[in-house]
Amino acid sequence: MILVPDVVSPVVVAIYAPAVFVGIIVALIGLFGISIEKNDLQVLILTDIVGVAMLIIVAAVGTDLAESLVLPGLVVELAEILAICEILMSREMRKTGKSVSLIPTPLNFDMEVLQTSPVFIAVILVIYGAFLSGFTGGAIAGGGILFYVMSLTVRGLPSDLWEGIAGASGIAWCLWLTGFLVLFVFPNYWLLGLMLAAFGVFIKVAFKAGLIGVMNREEFRKE
Amino acid sequence: MVVSILGSQIIGIIPLGDIVFYMTSFNLFMFAAALVFTFIIAISKTETQIEAEFGSLGDREIKVAKKEFKFRRFLAIICGLATAGAMVTGDLFDFTLFVCLIGIVNIGIVGAVKQVDVLDSAFQYGLIAMIASTPLFVGASLILAATGTISILAINSLTYTTPMMLFGSILLFLGVAGETGVAPFFATKAEMFRTPGSPFLLIIHLSSLLIIVRVIEILLIINKPF
Amino acid sequence: MKSIGRFWNSLANPDRIPRFYALVLGIVLIAGFLIPIGLNDHQLYPRPEPQLQINAQDPLAPYDRGGVTFEQRGIVKAQYPQYLPAIGEITAYLSPIAMGVDHTTLYYGTSIYSSPGGLIDEILYYTRGFDTVLESSILMMAFVIASFIALNFTMRRED
Repeated sequence: MILVPDVVSPVVVAIYAPAVFVGIIVALIGLFGISIEKNDLQVLILTDIVGVAMLIIVAAVGTDLAESLVLPGLVVELAEILAICEILMSREMRKTGKSVSLIPTPLNFDMEVLQTSPVFIAVILVIYGAFLSGFTGGAIAGGGILFYVMSLTVRGLPSDLWEGIAGASGIAWCLWLTGFLVLFVFPNYWLLGLMLAAFGVFIKVAFKAGLIGVMNREEFRKE
Repeated sequence: MVVSILGSQIIGIIPLGDIVFYMTSFNLFMFAAALVFTFIIAISKTETQIEAEFGSLGDREIKVAKKEFKFRRFLAIICGLATAGAMVTGDLFDFTLFVCLIGIVNIGIVGAVKQVDVLDSAFQYGLIAMIASTPLFVGASLILAATGTISILAINSLTYTTPMMLFGSILLFLGVAGETGVAPFFATKAEMFRTPGSPFLLIIHLSSLLIIVRVIEILLIINKPF
Repeated sequence: MKSIGRFWNSLANPDRIPRFYALVLGIVLIAGFLIPIGLNDHQLYPRPEPQLQINAQDPLAPYDRGGVTFEQRGIVKAQYPQYLPAIGEITAYLSPIAMGVDHTTLYYGTSIYSSPGGLIDEILYYTRGFDTVLESSILMMAFVIASFIALNFTMRRED
């Protein structure tokens, strides 16, 4: 078996043009929707369809490079939607003067598991995430933190906690950057660089998910 | 190895794996300009706007709170650094990511204001930035599909140009135009400048100017019209 | 002439700009149906034919790029191998846990059970690592902006 061929396989080359056409059609549907829609929130959702079209066309190239380009594309879309949603909410609140809930539907977390065993489940998730490490591990450990924060019964966490967690996330980002630089400045220590990067991303993703938990937490107790 | 690009000598390269930063005298000048402006902005203080009050003789000062000031300064510095990076990067995809970073930071600089009108234009600008990331990445991926590489130095040494590369370039340009908000999509940005906090807003202008110059250079390298 | 002037004036309204941009982009994209589209088969970082490694019962499928941890380098067809002294080392690396899973199941490559950095990231982490740095910066900036607005405006709505 040839592990890595010299040229792209004919199967991928054959479906490239159809894939690009599908992508263009998806983009056109999304763009058509944007140009006729009046509601701002709907437009924001429709831009996501255009983003999907981008992922289709990038993925159509079908090499490892294309796969690594899909991920930043996805992240850019997610990041922008996150920031713009906040701006939209901030604007609407100033415009109407009404206080709008961060989560529109009233969430009533009256589950027994939140009262009986939050610490146990959170610790299990964090340990399992640390065991996996990397991006997926970070997501799972972050889920654990999120769960723990959600289950706290005391009203409101101080925003100092938030800033503390955000600061740790920034330090993890520096860890990642250091790991990356080690790879090029001292190529012989590539394993060290890889580990720095892996645990940097682990801490970062975990705390990001945790932050969402803190953010939601502020709202849950308001009812 | 290529030694000249668009007729100017390559002074040096910084290889970070496959992503190679290259410097010609042209790029280096823009890189230095972006860094100098970022430094000036980093050490400066914000303006204070004075608004005349309607129906009385009093004036009203609009000041930027300390926390907001710090936040904006941080984003402005990131924006300047991203602009400087986009000036010297030798990788098409890397360039698109730098442009996306500039786009999102621009939204952030004006996002934390209290005026509803400004927030509205920031939102509309954000929508364009989101839509624009599609032509940006699609353009880069079409050029990748047509040439098999996204290194600008490698594309420079190719001898052919295909219609697909031209199509990709047009999309790339459209993406940059949307992300930086140049004419005829500038209305959202013009509105954004009504917010107080002047020196940090200037970096938005500067970055879009430098990025447009740079993207034209890249498109000339890809399509070789001369 | 008058209608052109009116058209430019209508562009001064920020609400219309996203619609106008979408329209322009749509018209340009339609041109994509008219030009010849084809994939150049000499690409960087090619990957094996779809399903080939899975059918061959490779536990790392579809991300097997050869190599043995610390002994033999993986195969990476990069643009500038001359700038990459340690090319292939990270691609071949598996953590001890990952090796254990690799020996027990046939589906390691398709699970999200990853070694440091994740399998997908690892193939290109060394060669195109700067992309991940920028990508995470973009995400971090979005978080900074969103959390700043949320903390200072949406949550403290009294003031």
